[in-house]
Amino acid sequence: MSKKIWVHAELADGKITGVAFELLCKARELAEAMGDAEVEATLLGSGVEKEAALLAEWGATTIHVADDPDLRLYSPVTYVPILAQLAASHLPDIWLFGATAIGSALGPAVAARLKTGMAAHCVDLGINGEKKLTALVPSFGGKVIGEILCPNVKPQMASVKPGIFVKKPPVPVPLRVEKLESSVWKNGLDLKGLKPVNVVRRPPEGLPLNEADVVVCGGYGVGSVENWRLLEELARRLGGAVACTRPAVDEGWAEEHCMVGTSGQSIRPKVYIGFGISGATHHVCGMNGAGVVISVNRDAEAPVFEVSDFRAVGDVNGILPLLVEAVKPKISW
Amino acid sequence: MPYNVAVCVKPVPDPKHYDRVTIDPVKKTITRTGIPTLINPVDKTAIEAGLQLRERHSGSVVAISMAPPNAEEILREVLAMGADEAYLLSDRAFGGADTLATSYTLCHGLRKIEALRGHAFDFVLCGSESADGATAQVSSQLGEWLGYPHLWNAFAFEEIEEMPEAGDPEKKAFSIRTKMENGYMEWRARPPFVLGVARELNKPRFTSVMGIMKAKNKPLTVWSRADLDGAEDAFLGLSGSPTQPGEIFSPDLKRSGKLLEGSAEEVVEQIVAVLRSNGVVTGD
Amino acid sequence: MGFFEFSEEQKMLRKAIREFVEAEVAPKAAEWDEKDVCPVELFKKLGELGVNGIFVPEQYGGAGQGAVARAICLEEISRHSAGLGIALMTHHLGVYPILQFGTEEQKKKYLPDLCSGAKIGGLAVTEPGGGSDFSGQKTVAEKKDGSWTVNGRKCFITNSHIADVTVFTAKTGEDEKGRNKLSAFIVEKGAKGFEPGRKEHKLGLRGSVTGDLVFADVSVPEDAILGKEGAGAKIGMEGIGEVGRAGMSAICVGILRGCVEEAVKFANERIVYGKPIAKLQAIQLEVAKIRADYEAARLLTYNAVGLKDSGQPCANEVATAKYVSTETAVASSKRLMDLMGGYGIVNEYPVGRFLRDALASIPSGGTSHIMQIIIAANTLSGFQP
Repeated sequence: MSKKIWVHAELADGKITGVAFELLCKARELAEAMGDAEVEATLLGSGVEKEAALLAEWGATTIHVADDPDLRLYSPVTYVPILAQLAASHLPDIWLFGATAIGSALGPAVAARLKTGMAAHCVDLGINGEKKLTALVPSFGGKVIGEILCPNVKPQMASVKPGIFVKKPPVPVPLRVEKLESSVWKNGLDLKGLKPVNVVRRPPEGLPLNEADVVVCGGYGVGSVENWRLLEELARRLGGAVACTRPAVDEGWAEEHCMVGTSGQSIRPKVYIGFGISGATHHVCGMNGAGVVISVNRDAEAPVFEVSDFRAVGDVNGILPLLVEAVKPKISW
Repeated sequence: MPYNVAVCVKPVPDPKHYDRVTIDPVKKTITRTGIPTLINPVDKTAIEAGLQLRERHSGSVVAISMAPPNAEEILREVLAMGADEAYLLSDRAFGGADTLATSYTLCHGLRKIEALRGHAFDFVLCGSESADGATAQVSSQLGEWLGYPHLWNAFAFEEIEEMPEAGDPEKKAFSIRTKMENGYMEWRARPPFVLGVARELNKPRFTSVMGIMKAKNKPLTVWSRADLDGAEDAFLGLSGSPTQPGEIFSPDLKRSGKLLEGSAEEVVEQIVAVLRSNGVVTGD
Repeated sequence: MGFFEFSEEQKMLRKAIREFVEAEVAPKAAEWDEKDVCPVELFKKLGELGVNGIFVPEQYGGAGQGAVARAICLEEISRHSAGLGIALMTHHLGVYPILQFGTEEQKKKYLPDLCSGAKIGGLAVTEPGGGSDFSGQKTVAEKKDGSWTVNGRKCFITNSHIADVTVFTAKTGEDEKGRNKLSAFIVEKGAKGFEPGRKEHKLGLRGSVTGDLVFADVSVPEDAILGKEGAGAKIGMEGIGEVGRAGMSAICVGILRGCVEEAVKFANERIVYGKPIAKLQAIQLEVAKIRADYEAARLLTYNAVGLKDSGQPCANEVATAKYVSTETAVASSKRLMDLMGGYGIVNEYPVGRFLRDALASIPSGGTSHIMQIIIAANTLSGFQP
């Protein structure tokens, strides 16, 4: 029997999240490395036929689906037992989750039900000589990378943040859906103690950070809210997005959702321009996938310069306004 | 109505000093010499949430940690912050635990405390993640072992009106918000449940001198493997951990670092040139 | 275990205060210095922590600790802001005489608010005629119809413009030899005729307010006298001699620790000729001197306050600690400045502030010359090794 690599396809507002496609692409690589292995997906929600079809386009040979109005919103009370039940009947070898807000809670809970191991927030996945999953996991704010194996129990589970793996072109396969009937999982389930009410989105202005080709990132050294406005203007003029480090959030200049690093997003823009960033490892881990890194910092010894392609030693107050002036607004058609 | 709150805490090396963490190239172990240990920062948010529940509704706050014996010091600090009692689960048999074995051990510690106190916990609060390992898995897995609903990354949490159809009608329901990408999710829940709390939930209080003095006389109990009578060896420590660590290394993120020299104007010119050569449209 | 070691509780206290200071004091210290504003709002928070009434028994709302615990607090705060350090230390100077010499009614009336942070305390002794010419004070309190009428001017008074409760001394008569008889009183902010006067523009310890207090026919009720009539000299001297000087000494230990930590940081980060200057022996020698100064000041200070806590005489030890701590704080911050080269005089680095604060610490509570006179007197009259 061939081995199975599962990817859990999380829905956000009824649409499959980008990380699921990234994981499917990685899963195909892993399947190749294992030799005889199938890539399959799990999908839970309400009215998900169309989304299931999309998963087949990205190479999932079987889509395990539970489709029920009670599954419109994520709840551990429903999702955990359903996924555990699916795994118990199909025995996947590997199971990958997006390390999203939901995936980071759901994955480990399912692992606990199955009494198996899960590697969290992996920065890379591979297959070793024993055809087992090796997961690379950062700790100490990215200062240390450790290999995590789960050699004796299945499934070997892992979560990966959005933006770590590159989305590759789809490789469609025939659509094959295996549906878990509601009657099978609903029986005896107490849905009353915890109720998901709704999801409230506050869409960020402008381009999503993880889709931007140019990211302008600011740290504590930006120095003032006035400079921060300039930073935003620069991003606008370059058609890019604004990112930040933790101190900029703490100063109240930026919102947490644009934070980059081990406790924020992982980004891989073509160009990253950083202003007043010291370069702590936990931030660098989130941006080292960038094509070109330009850093502006007053302190010539700032660690960020060690991970930069271009170093500009100078005051943010001096350089930022000039740069904003130098990149005139894009003509809008 | 009084609430019984348990808070799970973990001692971690001070995150301010993670740039000093190194790897011993021969022994392949992590060296963190000289880095002070403190309460995992977001665990303080969980303690604060517990203390606020007690202040609003009466009840008690019990802290629990699975850690080496020197974690007594950290638990004493939790008592100084205001917790009523603390339990340290410490034994070589618990060593080498991954998140599954850790949450299993904590579950059995909590069950034993419940048995001793004669009532169950209404809330089990954890920090959403630890600063060192940052797996963020323990709160969800603890919820599973305990058989309680669990929510992760909660940043808002308040008592609301009745939720008549569910659970113990004596207990009020809570409205909880958990962080989501670009937004949040809203929940209604009735105790008992497990919460992994986010740092935005509150601003933890500072420890007062009076708190430190009171902590001297608060109970701090250390339990070993033998005290957790209900626990099975197969789920404890290294043997209860399905994941195993392999190689460790420091990532090499170094880049060439060409220095852009000259006046601010000249530096800006060079930055614009780099942008253009990388296909970024810069207007004009 | 060393000759001197903190208790477990004292270590916890140090950690707790350090955490508070790093969050609430360190980020703003440079701004307080630059703008010369006293962060009065922090007194409320410090009160909640128990720092304001650290040596006051719990029955009066204090934390029930002693002089060692107080020195720990002052060191930790002054590590980042010696200006706030002296504001707090002067608050203690107002609290101490009420606790030590006040009646039960006075203690109950003033101490809880002074401990909680609701009110700030101060001590006003020094006059334009000089601080150390104690008995030459010209402020006069005359008894009339069951109350005291006070006239005069105090100067170089820390917390002059922010204190809610001030203990002050005034001449209440002369003894048979014609020497001034001083008494101590408590006066509250807002008393008619009692106003802060000019504010000094100080070199260092900025972020604390220092200025004049003017008494113009201020009526102070009879029961506001502290201790017996004529006890003013003793009350003032004990407060300044033991509490004030020990406080200044602890503040300078904080400054010295700042010097050590900044020296380490700079020496490791500054690269010259391709390697950190910490590798250069010339730099190492300077770092060693700064470290040795810190250790010496620290041991002298905690030894002196330890004596105070155990009820032993400590005036000489306190004077020695104050002398060494303030002088080495000046020497070591200057050393650090030299070590940093051009960076040393740039205000983005705290070393310039350390030096100014250290210099300003010398006259507070008695100059180094006065300290030397005390030490010499003690030595010449009864040196017992």
